[in-house]
Formats: sequence, structure tokens, C-alpha cells
Amino acid sequence: MIGFLSKKQIKTRTELRARSFDAMAVMILLAQLPHVFHLPIWISVFGAGVVAIKWWNVHHPNNLKLNWVLSSRAAVVLGLLGGVLIKLHFGYFIGRDPCVAFLFLLLGCKFAEARRQSDATTLMCLSGFLLLTQYLYSQSILSALLTIPAVMSLGVALSILNEHSTRSLSNHARLVGRLLIQGAPIAALLFIVFPRLPGPLWSLPEDATATTGLSDSMSPGEIGNLSQSDEVAFRVDFEGTPPDARDLYWRGPVMSNFDGSNWSINKLQADGAIETSNTTADLGNDNSKSISYTVTLQPHNKKWLFALEQASSLPSTGESNAGKFSLNPEIRADKQILSNKPITNIVQYKQSSLMLDRYTPSTRPSAIDLILTGKNSRTAAFADKLFSKHETPMAFAMAVLSWFNTQPYSYTLQPTLLGDSPIDEFMFDTQNGFCGHYASAFVVMMRAVGIPARIVTGYQGGEMNDDYMIVRQSEAHAWAEVFIDGQWIRFDPTAAVAPSRVDYGLAASLPEGEPVPRLARAGNGWIKRASLRWDRVNHGWQRMVVDFNNESQSKFWKKLGAPNPQLWQITIALLALAAAWCMWVLRPSRSAMAPVTEDQKFWRAYSQYLDKLGVSRLPAETGAQLTKRASIELSEHSELIARIGLAFSKIKFEPISNKRKSAIRVQLKRDLKKLASIARRAKTQQIALQTLQGKSSATS
Amino acid sequence: MNQPVLRAEISQLAELSNVVAQLETILLGKRQQIELAVACLIANGHLLIEDVPGVGKTTLAQGLSATLGLPWNRLQFTSDLLPADVIGVSVFNTSTHSFDFKQGPVFTSVLLADEINRAPPKAQSALLEAMEERQVSLDGETYKLDDEFFVIATQNPTDQLGAYPLPESQLDRFLVSIALGYPDSDEERTLLKSGDRRQSIQSLEPVAGPLQIKHWSQAAARLHVSDTVIDYIQALLNESRLGDNGLSPRAGLSLVRLCKAFAYLNGQDHVTADDVQHVFPALAGHRLTGQVKSGAIAAQALLNNVTAP
Repeated sequence: MIGFLSKKQIKTRTELRARSFDAMAVMILLAQLPHVFHLPIWISVFGAGVVAIKWWNVHHPNNLKLNWVLSSRAAVVLGLLGGVLIKLHFGYFIGRDPCVAFLFLLLGCKFAEARRQSDATTLMCLSGFLLLTQYLYSQSILSALLTIPAVMSLGVALSILNEHSTRSLSNHARLVGRLLIQGAPIAALLFIVFPRLPGPLWSLPEDATATTGLSDSMSPGEIGNLSQSDEVAFRVDFEGTPPDARDLYWRGPVMSNFDGSNWSINKLQADGAIETSNTTADLGNDNSKSISYTVTLQPHNKKWLFALEQASSLPSTGESNAGKFSLNPEIRADKQILSNKPITNIVQYKQSSLMLDRYTPSTRPSAIDLILTGKNSRTAAFADKLFSKHETPMAFAMAVLSWFNTQPYSYTLQPTLLGDSPIDEFMFDTQNGFCGHYASAFVVMMRAVGIPARIVTGYQGGEMNDDYMIVRQSEAHAWAEVFIDGQWIRFDPTAAVAPSRVDYGLAASLPEGEPVPRLARAGNGWIKRASLRWDRVNHGWQRMVVDFNNESQSKFWKKLGAPNPQLWQITIALLALAAAWCMWVLRPSRSAMAPVTEDQKFWRAYSQYLDKLGVSRLPAETGAQLTKRASIELSEHSELIARIGLAFSKIKFEPISNKRKSAIRVQLKRDLKKLASIARRAKTQQIALQTLQGKSSATS
Repeated sequence: MNQPVLRAEISQLAELSNVVAQLETILLGKRQQIELAVACLIANGHLLIEDVPGVGKTTLAQGLSATLGLPWNRLQFTSDLLPADVIGVSVFNTSTHSFDFKQGPVFTSVLLADEINRAPPKAQSALLEAMEERQVSLDGETYKLDDEFFVIATQNPTDQLGAYPLPESQLDRFLVSIALGYPDSDEERTLLKSGDRRQSIQSLEPVAGPLQIKHWSQAAARLHVSDTVIDYIQALLNESRLGDNGLSPRAGLSLVRLCKAFAYLNGQDHVTADDVQHVFPALAGHRLTGQVKSGAIAAQALLNNVTAP
């Protein structure tokens, strides 16, 4: 019926129909959706708005003004304008955020100027790409789930775009759903066995993203703010039983610098002159308990890695990673563990620690550990007085602790604001504070009598969630470290004021009526339970899916009993498994396996032989058409083929008696045998020809 | 039932091919459309032509009636057309003091209903009723139409201004829809050189008469349709029902009827899958999308989706 189609009609076929536009509008909006949560509002409105306007326009094509706005030229102008605005908004252009925002806008602009099928193809690819970029922001289960509707709509749009006749939406959805489900095992297979790049695929030059966490300076009140946050700092999987809560001191930044009110990291130490590794030697304490665990650290944009005091090994990200991708960790003289670059992705490392409250440094404490400004003179005078009553530094330290314990000091998250000499005011006037206050006051008093001391920040405690531990920002803590008899010894003055903070966590130690971070609250409310369950799912996702790296892969191979398979072995296994799956999916359905009549067998044989002879049957081709084509292409056998074709059309269509039909079938069978032998001969000839060619090329 | 066409009918068939041949001399290069139009006539169906003015719709209608020796009328549908303009009107006769029925243009054999979608639905439905029932009811009286009542309706593409598109139920009354299309350049050249063909229509000799048309219809209806063909037609109907506008059982019946007529026209005594494929777009097109051209494309696509026997 080609006669019905003029050139103009063929052209209109490549133009997109309103139905295709509907499908693509939904697809684009769904692809944009996950980005709405992190893009600036105006970009979301701009990008999605263009799509919505175009969609409206498709159904109201008579609005001429809009037609102009949605022309190709206008789309280019819109795109450029968007680019300039993004540059102005972010201040830079090459980076994750502005580039994703730009892609977001361009997708809308491309949709606005879409006319033809080729535009639609471009849009599909762009949508798929935009969908992937959301993993630059988040790789959580939720974001993975958010992509499912978008992927689904992408498939449906593709299906609608390629439909020959108008089919219902549910028909398309079913088709796409079935294809996706059929493809899922192959995707899973590829996920597991496809050779992995060492290191995350998603690491990018970082943007200035704000993350909660410890900072490199501390004023006495600061950790209190952090304590209001339920965000997870890191998660820990212990090998063996986890230690008691009171022993869980996760060491973070160590602060020696003091300006009278703020503590900060010693820059000199931070930049160089560092003792690296080989720390087991100076810790060679035998009767202490060694413990191994794996930390899954959330990105915090700083270099430090957390470990229980006292770390006895360098964090390791796995043997196979060494050299290619690793944290290149080092342990500094003050026992801080640092990575060589800021942690901008979730990292996992193995760590072992000796559960000790003291260690022997290889270098003497520097003068910085004694710095005192003149600001807190009352405290200094008090320390002098107290020290004179005690003989040893140890006794003095214990005396200070008992001073905190016996005097009416209280532990609160809402301390009174402090002025110019914060330690003095805290010690003698307000007498309420948080861990930072007590640790600061303690260190100041130590330094006042000439004992080197410093602040250690980090996390204290953690909450077991079945088999792993969650450490949240609300567990942030500050304590003191004092140099006595050649060892740095941990003192936690907070424990002296509110022992329950260390034993039972934050909530137990706060007075009644104080705001407590939701998840730090004691008890077993359903919110907390649900939240813990969700965290477990997330942690599992993180461990099993996101962190599935080449190390986990080699573990998997080992489990299978085939360590270190070669690439070609993997490829063959992969192809075999995929092929097996495809065969199963495409297995003949029951209806196709139903008993076939003799005529159908003949018909199949006929198409098979012709196929071997190079004439494949097209799906909508009738027998007569196939016969005609075959007798033209295989002109030397045209007589035989025409005879067979005629027999078929007689059996199929003509009003003839059964007796004559069987007579025709006898002849047909004979003719089909002839055709079969022709097909066989053609095949052997072909093979012979190929080997001949192979030989001649080999000899030449 | 299903008796093979007798050899004695071969002469009849020869006359039928003469009809096609004669029509081809006045409508150049449109054999396919002419065959479909004649097959439609044999199958007792009505024909819908959708195309722009000036491609030969009227010529086809006139030529058909002249060749078959049938009277014909032309009715131009306009936006102020009334049902009475189509079927006729009762006029008071002062001499007999009674109402006389004055027949409208439908009382003929071949009616060319030009630009049917320009008229409002009421006038359209007056004609469509006559098409379905082959009779006209007015003031309690029923007037029979010709047995060979055959409507060739033309329709402007519905995207033109001032068109009332025919609803699906009424489109269903048309057995076949075709688009004539512009002539190929060779044929157009011949046409331009030899001048307008309309004069030559006057000189056309009738090749057959109403009796023969009746005979052809009856003979065609007796053609053999094998189970294979029925299976194929069913597969096509089922495929069409996956979409929004599925083909009705009536459309399926019409398809069988048209296939028979077409096979008869080609001198066969049975229907083949090729016949089905040949007539399917013309039959299903306007039923699938409500338009002739896009419908033919959709129907062709539908054919491509179904495995042929």
C-alpha cells in the first residue's frame, strides 16, 4: 500500500505526535525531579517551567506568541541566558553544581524546540544522563528508588515513540516493565562480575559543601550545637564484641593552641614534622585488649579519620587498593589519623586499636602544650593554690576532677553565654556547661601549674543497631589529655560532673526539660525504632551496593572458589550466563509448543530452507510474496520454489477436497526435500569457499 | 455454499475487467484505487474519498456510473444544507389537495456526495441513514432506494477550516476509504498533453448494467474463504484492539466481504492472504484513526505487526 504514502506523508511521520510529547514531558519532569531537592529554586522553576509551557503549547498550538517563544532560536537564547545566570549564581562554572544545573536547564530548552524524532532521541539520552548525575549528590536507597519511575517513563516514552499503531498506555507500561524485569538479572550479574575500577566512580572535584561535623577549632560552647544533630558521623562494624560504652573514645582533632577562649589545631604540627606509622612499637603494651573494626565514615570535608583510642594500626582500605586508591593515611605525633585528602565521599577502612587511656609519645611535648594567655587569671591562681596541696601531677589532676564533682557544677546543653575570660566566668560564676567547658577548664588548670595538657575532640559512645554501631554527631565530645610521667593520659572531666554522659549517653545525663536530639533520647519510642531500622537498611545498602568495590569483588570470587579470574574467563562466564538467561526468557511459549499440523511443519521447513539460502522471511510477508521474492533471488531454483509456493497457496486458500490436498502434500514433501538438499549443498559450498579464502589469504 | 466460480462466469469476469480498463482511460495511473472502488461496489458498500479538490474524485464517480450504465446525481454539501435537500420534500399539490413527495438527489444509483464533512451533522445523518437502510422515511411513508444505491462521498482533510468531522459510527458506514493523491509525473504529463478527460466521459459506452452488478455481487459472495484467511483476519482484528480504536466485528465482516469482492475482481475463486493485505488499509484506515491518510499508515503498520500466513 505504498501507493498511499506521498513524500509529504513520510515526512510527517518523522514529526512528533502529541502523544510522544506527553510521554517525553512526563519522562523529563521525572528525570528532573530528583534534582529539585538540591538545586536552587529558580533553576528548578526555570527548567521544569519550560517543559510545562511547551507541554501546554503542544495541546494548544494556536497560541502564536508561545510558538515564537518556543522556536529553536529562542531555545538557544534561553540556554545561553540560563548559563550566564548559573555562572552569576554560583560564581564559577566548572564544577558539579553549576554543570548539573546547566544540564537541567538545557534539557528543558531542548524539549522546547523539539519537533522531530531525532530530537526525541537526543532528549532520551539527555534524560538518562541527567538521571545519572543525581548520583553525584546522593547514592542512598531513596535516590535509587527515585530513579525507578523516571527509568520506567523513559522506557514508555521510547516505546510510544516507536509504536506502529496507537496502543494503550498500560500496554506500553507492561511491555517496558517486562523488559526491565527481564534485564534486571543481567544488570545484577554485570554489577557483580564486571571488573571494577579501584576507587569510587563518582569522585569529583569537590564543591564547597557544608557538612556537619567537628571543626578544627573549638570554643567551649561549640560542641553543644553539634549535639543537636541526629546526623550519622560514622558507622562501625566490630569484629567480636564491642567494648563498653565508657571506653569508646573516638579520637579526632587534637587541639593545643589556645588564645584565651578558643582552642585550635596546632598549625605547625598539622603541616609537617610528623611521625608516621610504625605506631605499634611505642604502644607495645601486651596485657591490653586489642580490637579490630571497620569504620564507614560519612563525608565531612576534613582530612581526619576516627579511631578508638589508641590506634595500633594505620587505617587500611584493603590490600588490592594499595597504591591505586587509598586514603594514604598517616598517624601524627599527637595520635591523630589523617588522610591525604579531605573526605568527600563515604569511605570505609579497617582499623585496630588497643583499648588504653594513655600512650607514650616518641617526642617530648612542645611548648605549645603549655600556652596560657593572661586572660583567665582567677583560674590560674586557683590552680596554683590547689596544686600546692598536692605532691604529684596525678594527684593534682584527680583533685581537679573531684573539685568538679563536689562543687555545684551542672551539665547542660544550654550554658550561659560567656564573656572575655570564659574559663574564669565558667569556673566561678556560671558553673554550668558542656563537655567543652569542662575540658577547657581542666586543661587550663593543668597548664597553669606547668603540666603539659591539651584538648582532644572526637566522639564518645555510640549506639548498637543489631550488629553494628552508629555514631552520630550528637555523640561529639571533648576531653583532656595530660602529659604525666612520659605518657599522655586521658582525663574526661565531663565524666566527673555527669558520669552518666559517658556511661549511658547524652540523654541520660541532661537535666529534665532540656532539648535533646530526637534520636539520642533514651527509651524505645517507635520513631526511634523505625529510624534505627531505616538506618540498618541504609547501612546495608552502603556496605553491599555502594561500597561494592574491587576488593569485595575479589572476595566474591574467592567465595566462589575461583580466586583471581582472568578477564577472558569473566567475559566467557558472563556471556554464557547472559545467553542462558536470554534463552530462558525467549523460550518458546506454551502456545508455540502446541502440537503443530503437518502443514505448519512444512511451512516452517520451507522458511528455514529459504533462510539458509539467504532469503529470510519478513514477519508480515505472505507466502505468495515470499515465494515471489525467493524465486527472483534464487533464479536457478525458481521453478522448484514456484511449485512449492503454489502448493502452499493451494493447501491454505483454495477450496479443494481433502483427497486432493493429500496428493498435493505428497508432492510438496518431495519438493521440500529437494529444497533441503539444495540448502545443505549451498551451506557446504559456502564453508568450502570460506576455507579456500582462508587458505589463500594464509598462503599469500 | 462455497461453490467454486463456474467457468461460464468467465465472460462475466471479462466484462468486469473491462470496467476497470475503461475507467483507467479516464483516471490515469490510479488502477489500485479504481479496483478498490469497483470492489467496493461489488461488495455493496459505500466509498469515501478523502483528498484535496481537483484530483479526480468527480471524474471517478461519473466514469463509474457511465461505465456501469447507472444514473447518477451529484450533491454538494454545504454548511446550510438541510435534510430535505438530501432526501426530498413533501409538497402540497393544490389540484389534488394532497401532499406529493418530491424526490431528493438520493433517488439515484450513484450519488456523489461532495465535501460531506462541510455539512452539519443533521444533514450528514440524513444521508447516512439512507446509506444504511437503502430507504428513506418521510411523513410516515417509506420510499425504497435503488438496489444498486452506491454513495461516493468525498471529504476534505479535516484540518481544513469549516469541516464537521464525521463521527466514528458514521465513518463505519463507509466500506472503503481511499485517497486519490496526485498523479505520477508521467501520467500527469500525459494528462496535461491530452487535455481534460471530462469530455471523454460523455462518450463512454456502458460496459455493464444493473443486472450484471447484482450478478457479480452474488457470485463474489460465494467465494471460498479458507480457515487460514479467517485466522489471519482474526489476528489483524485482535492486533487492532490493542490500540484505542479497535475494529468492530462489523468491520471484520466487511473485511471478509471486501476481500471476496476483490478476489472476484481479480478472477480468483478463493481469497488469499495477499488479498487481505491489499484491501486492509482501505477498509481499516478510516475506522482506526477517523482519517483516511493517517489511517492508511496506521493500518499498514498494523499489518506489519502481524505474521502473515
